[in-house]
Amino acid sequence: MRRLMTIGLAVSLLLAAVGPLSAQDVEWSPRGPYVDEILLPIITDQEAQLIALRRGDIHVYPGLVSPTHIETLEADPNVDITLSPGFHFFYLAMNMRREPLNDIVIRRALAHAINREEIVLSLFQGYVLPLAEFVPPASPFYNPDTDVAQYDPELARQILDDAGYRVGPDGIRINPRTGEPLREMTILTPTYEVAPTSAQLGAMIAEAARSIGLPVRAEPLDFNVILDRIQNESDGDRDFDMYVLAWGLTRFPTHLYSLFHSSFDVDGAENTPGLRDPEYDAAAERVWTPRNLDEAMEAAYRAQEILSWLQPYVPLYSRPYMDAFRSDVVTGYVPHLGYGAASNVYFSIWTPLNIRRVDRERGGTVRWLLPEEPSSLNVLVGTSAYDFQVFGLVYGPGLIAAEPVNNEDFPWEAERWEVGTWITPEGTEGTKVTYWLRDDITWHDGVPFTAEDIKFTMDYLKEQRVPKYQTTWSDYSHAEVHDDHTITVYFNTVSYWHTYNVAGFLAKHIWEDVEKFDEFEPWNEPHPTVEGLTKMIGTGPFVFKEYVPGEYVRVVHYEDFWAGLDR
Amino acid sequence: MTGTYFVRRVGYGLITLFVVMTFNFIIFRIMPGDPVSLILNPEFSPEVRQLLREMYGLDQPLLTQYFLYLKSLLAFDFGHSFYSRRPVLDELMARLPNTLMLLGTAFALNVVIGVALGIKMAARAGSRLDTGVTGVSLFLNAMPPFFIGLLLLLAFGYYWPIFPVRGTMSVPPPTGQWAILLDRIHHLVLPVTAVTLSGFGSWYLYTRNNVLGALGQDFVLTARAKGLTHREILYRHAFRSVLPPIVTLVFLSLPGVITGAVITETIFSLYGVGRYLIDATLQQDYPVVQGCFYIIALAVIICNFLADLVYGLVDPRIRLR
Repeated sequence: MRRLMTIGLAVSLLLAAVGPLSAQDVEWSPRGPYVDEILLPIITDQEAQLIALRRGDIHVYPGLVSPTHIETLEADPNVDITLSPGFHFFYLAMNMRREPLNDIVIRRALAHAINREEIVLSLFQGYVLPLAEFVPPASPFYNPDTDVAQYDPELARQILDDAGYRVGPDGIRINPRTGEPLREMTILTPTYEVAPTSAQLGAMIAEAARSIGLPVRAEPLDFNVILDRIQNESDGDRDFDMYVLAWGLTRFPTHLYSLFHSSFDVDGAENTPGLRDPEYDAAAERVWTPRNLDEAMEAAYRAQEILSWLQPYVPLYSRPYMDAFRSDVVTGYVPHLGYGAASNVYFSIWTPLNIRRVDRERGGTVRWLLPEEPSSLNVLVGTSAYDFQVFGLVYGPGLIAAEPVNNEDFPWEAERWEVGTWITPEGTEGTKVTYWLRDDITWHDGVPFTAEDIKFTMDYLKEQRVPKYQTTWSDYSHAEVHDDHTITVYFNTVSYWHTYNVAGFLAKHIWEDVEKFDEFEPWNEPHPTVEGLTKMIGTGPFVFKEYVPGEYVRVVHYEDFWAGLDR
Repeated sequence: MTGTYFVRRVGYGLITLFVVMTFNFIIFRIMPGDPVSLILNPEFSPEVRQLLREMYGLDQPLLTQYFLYLKSLLAFDFGHSFYSRRPVLDELMARLPNTLMLLGTAFALNVVIGVALGIKMAARAGSRLDTGVTGVSLFLNAMPPFFIGLLLLLAFGYYWPIFPVRGTMSVPPPTGQWAILLDRIHHLVLPVTAVTLSGFGSWYLYTRNNVLGALGQDFVLTARAKGLTHREILYRHAFRSVLPPIVTLVFLSLPGVITGAVITETIFSLYGVGRYLIDATLQQDYPVVQGCFYIIALAVIICNFLADLVYGLVDPRIRLR
């Protein structure tokens, strides 16, 4: 299968800025893997990672960030860098519960005063993309026609003048409602030691605000303190004016609901700006509970338009995924729109499936950097990106995958599925999804993967109230197994997203005896019947072999993988 | 040493430990932030937050948490890490060998090199060699450890790649006991050198200054008058007189061997206690920080006690009462 990766104008500009990088033809196949083994050495220092790649100690370096490192590797003839626009979203949030940020005039003026191009070039040397929309361009739900606030300081001043915010003698604007100069506002940023670019960015925004007469200063703080102040509510307010932080989103636009719907403007929830707008709520609810993708698309477009007007956040930039490969050793890597070629194996299995050694068609070892220690290889506990890197190899994409070019659904363990509705015992409408599973899938110990495993997984997650999977089980009602390969899963609410919430990653014959899910260490316990295996078994293309803490993780090619090259 | 002294010291130690344990509990709870906030997700609902609080035992009243904490620490049960959900003691024990190997070796080298050089240079005070060694020691001592680590990494990991740049073993590791041992040593050379280079200077300066002071004392003059050799004067008289404070310092520095070297561990990707402690502090992983600080406090108290005992042994003038 050969397709051309479609990229937008912004990425083209970025690509032009970074020179030798070029838009890549995406060649991929749903069959694999080609290599016998993937070794994941743990290297925690960025300089050591760079040296390891250049020495050939590793062949895959996911998640290049430092502009200096990118430039160094670009000059290396043995290194190839892939670039994929990502679902990363960096923003300035404003507390709309407070004067004067509760006035849309101030928020919109500030949005027009920020020069994203300057930020991108001066802080990131052009290696990130300016972002003014509330959904990154990599998402299929991105609305390219949203009327966004572009950099125009004259317009910003005009907006303030027209609303009566005249400039006082000391250059600070006067609040027309009180007749007093505007109070000083702060932007919370991570410290220079922890995140120098974010801290600098806060200072640049503060300067831009002052240039239009808004008294703003940046306040670098410890990350925990920022979280504490932006998440906790007291007397209907949260203790901040503005802050800059980032989100890592997914291919679905559900963040438009959970970040901005008024029901999330409660203590501890993520509507930090405190947006409460009935028209927006209606659009966000449709984003959260669509009956089909068209409805979701239409609602997401509308939600983006409203947000761009209300400006609870000012979106600033999106970081694309840049992954480096030793092109003299490996080939076949697949840049996945939104997920990168090697940065998000859990959401994109295509590179592990397609990567191969240049010196042979099949077999051999690929050495793939693990930049941090995994926290837990229990799939119900591990939450770090490094845990997910291993989970992706062992468990695979699940029932439905996303193809790498446009992120469209790609049938994986489910050959097909059908979404409908049902009436719950309470008399409300709910969603039901029927999946027809492939009949040739086996767990790594050879036991067939069936509908019973899916039912068990869903029931187990709900019974154990597994926090990490709360969105999966919170609306789950029950499941009906029709035969080994057909199952209908029932949810108590209507939402097309439930289709993607059904999981079957727990092997029933292993997990049914596990009472305390969080204390189970499947990777440390030998498999009860198959020698050489642990209880960490999945249905993905690679079998987990060993994890030596502090040193490496090793997975090997699963001989009976249903999408294997010989099947 | 009398029995009363021993009982009194143990009593003081227990009181100190109790105070440290209490502060450990309070400090992390009054720090801004919330351990459950760090599992960030745009769809993180207040319900998940509550579930996590229940799972971590943070939904209980503070006093109940405190008594449970005291009880479990006394039984050496540090509970499970919030972040990994693994037993803290298991995680700590898995990291301790690497830290001991790195810092134990570096500490021994620091003391041996620093003290030996200190004695030698005190005897040649004012010479060109003394000026050179003192200058280099001061220079290295003032250099940030991360800088030394990165320089070594670049020099011997990249430009002249004779040493590995990560971990304590090759990936995959070799087979055979000797090969494994050599592989480990090969991996430890750079990090141990980094810690030693940045650490021996203080031992050197301390010893040099003390020995130099001793060499000007009357008893050294007497020894010279008795016709003793330079070597005998230096080692049996001058050095002997400064041995008690050096031994004390050795014991007081020993707990540092288990606290880890965050920067070196990060640069050389070592699975050690230092990084564990820092990550846990940043993530507000209460069981981990409480467990680690408890062990560190225990080590400090024990080493202080040992320092007192040994002081009595190396200096007959001291009697413990």
